Amino acid sequence: MEAALTPDFLTLPAAPAPLTQLRRTLSADALKLRRTAALRLTLLSGLFPVLIAFLIFFFKGDIIMKAGGSPWPRFIMAAWQTAGTLLLPLFVVLLTSLVVNVETKATAWKHLYAQPVGRGAVFGSKLLLILALNAVALLLFVALLLGAGFLLAAVRPKLGFQLHAVPLTPVLWMLGRTYVATLGLLAVQYIVSLLWRSFVVPVGVGMGAVVATIALLSWEHIDKIPYAAPLGTSASLKMTKAGVLETAHELAKHEWYSLGWFAGALLLGYLVLYRRNVTN
Amino acid sequence: MNSASLPLLETRGLDFRFGSRPILHEVNLRVEPGSIYGFLGPNGAGKSTTMRLLLGLLRPAAGSIHLFGHDMARHRVALLNRVGALIENPSLYDHLSGRENVEATRRLWGVPAHRTAEVLALVGLTDNAHRAAREYSLGMRQRLGLAIALLSDPDLLLLDEPTNGLDPSGIIEMRELLTRLRQEHGKTIVVSSHLINEIEKVATHVGVIQQGRLVFQGSLPDLQRLQTGRARLVLETEDADRCRNLLPRLLAGATVPAAGTLWLPWLNKEHSAEVAAALIAAGQPLYGLRLEQPSLEDTFLHLTEVKELV
Repeated sequence: MEAALTPDFLTLPAAPAPLTQLRRTLSADALKLRRTAALRLTLLSGLFPVLIAFLIFFFKGDIIMKAGGSPWPRFIMAAWQTAGTLLLPLFVVLLTSLVVNVETKATAWKHLYAQPVGRGAVFGSKLLLILALNAVALLLFVALLLGAGFLLAAVRPKLGFQLHAVPLTPVLWMLGRTYVATLGLLAVQYIVSLLWRSFVVPVGVGMGAVVATIALLSWEHIDKIPYAAPLGTSASLKMTKAGVLETAHELAKHEWYSLGWFAGALLLGYLVLYRRNVTN
Repeated sequence: MNSASLPLLETRGLDFRFGSRPILHEVNLRVEPGSIYGFLGPNGAGKSTTMRLLLGLLRPAAGSIHLFGHDMARHRVALLNRVGALIENPSLYDHLSGRENVEATRRLWGVPAHRTAEVLALVGLTDNAHRAAREYSLGMRQRLGLAIALLSDPDLLLLDEPTNGLDPSGIIEMRELLTRLRQEHGKTIVVSSHLINEIEKVATHVGVIQQGRLVFQGSLPDLQRLQTGRARLVLETEDADRCRNLLPRLLAGATVPAAGTLWLPWLNKEHSAEVAAALIAAGQPLYGLRLEQPSLEDTFLHLTEVKELV
């Protein structure tokens, strides 16, 4: 049955619009997240720093609060500095590597690029997914942190959490600025994960970079290094002599650098990846 | 092959190299609509590379690819809308169930939700669809990969070694499925393999690739005709060398594989009769005379023999 090439064979099928491609890829990527370590990490990562701050206040709160005043600033600072120094950059490193590794482990890049969605959609969808997971993790951290404060109000009323208002404005500013501070290293890690397509390389590079920045904290150009940005933002959280939590209501210099890294790494990485042959 | 009709898939002078290492050289594939094109070659000949080029995963160093009459380099995403592919091992997410694996690709295509159940039924995986893909056997993984390739009801299927790792009954099942897809659904299928036996029962056309060059392309009957040209006449006698000396004209093209055996390229039956009569006239005994047809496999091996450079 040698079918002749009918005219409808020759009409070029319409390619889905770029936004449709992105929406479809995003919907598929969200499904693939089920039961992954990336998802568990996102949901649980905020717990650790909050738990540490909670335990400190639960057992030693009376010593810390000897001078009186609102316990909220000290409590929030304790948790935020635990999170921002080391945990948050490591979380971003792990998260990007794990999300990209979902495809690598399944040898699915060749499959993905053979589907009728452009490389831009594949690139953009995973990036949006990581950005969303990163935001969810930070929001969960803040929610858990405030929840732990209210729990302390109930189980340790002597500390006075119930007597003082939650300093919501500085917390929300910190939330936004911390998110911006993670973007630079997130983009760099995303590109490294896509270029090497292994789990070990991006995690190794990321952990090495995080540890190196901690060793280089006194360097005059440390604010230009994206891996140090979350730490810089955490350190900007201050308490005034009157016991009020304070943080700048604008982006600090290192946060602008983080945004610069974000834009630069994504642009450069996409240009390299766009033309690359898919061999695995 | 009917060269008047437009091919559904065509490559023109396709060249590819990895760095400076040449992989493909001047490959001109031509796949007719409604055919099953068996793409044959030993491992490492360039089959997978060609398949990847056809899907736009690799960029050719020279030449072009045309699907449905359109240039792949210019309309990749649009053309992939009508192609289903299974490249080497199926890309499966082990942490997802069989159904979720199909669903992930279904969402990428935006095809209706009922297709997921349909393709799972088509490859006979409905009962195992809820199980995690990591629990699947090699054969089940291959079938799941095929189900995913069939999701969009594509006009063209590109299957790279789909019988890899299948047991004999799995190979037969795959064969039946391919035949059914062509006959009942009108699909055009390009299927690569390094074994001709797997292909000859389903393929309507065959392309043979060797060291990055297409050494044969045509219908299956064309390939069979090619092997007739390689048939030989086997003569068994007492002393083959003496026979050659006695009949220098008739036996000039003969080879002597054993002391009492002569091989002659087969020309026609008159020639056979003439040789037999001449041998007896020369007083030589003729113990046996038969025609040996090389199998398709022999032909394939002959085509893909590595020609030593002198």
